[in-house]
Amino acid sequence: MPDRGFIAAVTLTAALAVTTAGRAHDDSKYPDLKGLWSRGSGPAQWDPSKPGGLRQQPPLTPEYQATWEANMASQSSGGESYNPQATCLPSGMPRMMIAYEPIEFIVTAEATYVRVDHLSEFRRIHTDGRDWPRAFDPTYSGYSIGKWLDVNGDGRYDVLEVETRNLKGPRTFDASGIPMHPDNATVIKERIFLDQADPDVLYDEVTTIDHALTRPWTVTRKYSRDRNAVWYEHICAEENHHVVIGKESYFLSADGHLMPTRKGQPAPDLKYFDQSRK
Amino acid sequence: MRRQLAALVLGSALVATCGAVRAHHSFAMFDQENQIDMEGVVQEFRFIAPHTFIVLSVKQRDGSTETWTLEGVSPSALTREGWSKDTIKAGDELKLRVAPLRSGAPGGAWVTQQIKFRDGKPIVVSH
Repeated sequence: MPDRGFIAAVTLTAALAVTTAGRAHDDSKYPDLKGLWSRGSGPAQWDPSKPGGLRQQPPLTPEYQATWEANMASQSSGGESYNPQATCLPSGMPRMMIAYEPIEFIVTAEATYVRVDHLSEFRRIHTDGRDWPRAFDPTYSGYSIGKWLDVNGDGRYDVLEVETRNLKGPRTFDASGIPMHPDNATVIKERIFLDQADPDVLYDEVTTIDHALTRPWTVTRKYSRDRNAVWYEHICAEENHHVVIGKESYFLSADGHLMPTRKGQPAPDLKYFDQSRK
Repeated sequence: MRRQLAALVLGSALVATCGAVRAHHSFAMFDQENQIDMEGVVQEFRFIAPHTFIVLSVKQRDGSTETWTLEGVSPSALTREGWSKDTIKAGDELKLRVAPLRSGAPGGAWVTQQIKFRDGKPIVVSH
């Protein structure tokens, strides 16, 4: 005779099935985004259509252009303290969509989830028709509301329009240190869609509105699909040898000692250590 | 230290022609424009996130050895090139191209496309 716990579990499962049946996911209405999406050997600068460095020509205000140039000057001498990812902080939006490591889209009726291998980041794009929440703690990936569109009128959704707000910093556009305003009032609008001629190619047209910019900045990122995905765990803190102390970047040797990264670099300030003991 | 190593570096001050390691770090601390070719014996191969490492013993002119900590691309990126955690092991003798730390300390980034066994055998085994 089945025990009472088993009966309760079966009853709960049945009840949940009845409750969710009204908004069951119908695969045929959505584009097939299954599989692993990677940028392959594609560029890691924010605007992939332009070379890295100054030729990115981001529409920065003069103040933030100066910040960016200072970041690049620091970079050219080995520094990376301006780059949050150097110490394993998340990329956040929109940088996480560079896809340093592969990404995965999980489409349900209520939300599309974007799982990013790199730094184990995760996005939840609500597609259940909700409005912006009254109060929500800011996050690196932000709060995203999306809407599926049937642009070509074939009865199946083909574009996911997304708006993301409520972000947290520090964030940069890419590893060159293109800055974002520290007020974190960034708004990001995206259109995510498959290539009409090649269903194994996906585009994310990303428009960023930020107080560091003079106008919205639109770039299009491209991903290729691997349908036989092999996924790898990517825990940045597992063995990160890049160490930032104050404004200085150091490199950790295999035997656990700090190494200077540029000529003449001072050692960290050890004032809280007993200097009489060596 | 670096002066001693210079004798063992096969071709120094190479202009970087191969792709720099593109990662979440800027890799700016490694001098991509003055890469060096070096030889050494693997102490350890760390196939680990966020980036792989080769710990390499490099013989100096005076007969001593120096340990170099060499960062590579991520395990998943190497796997896509046919590598696994067992592709190289302690004791293997390697020839490789390295973007050294700008400071001159014995660290750097190794270039995936420019590494082979000392006898000239290629490293990558399968795709």
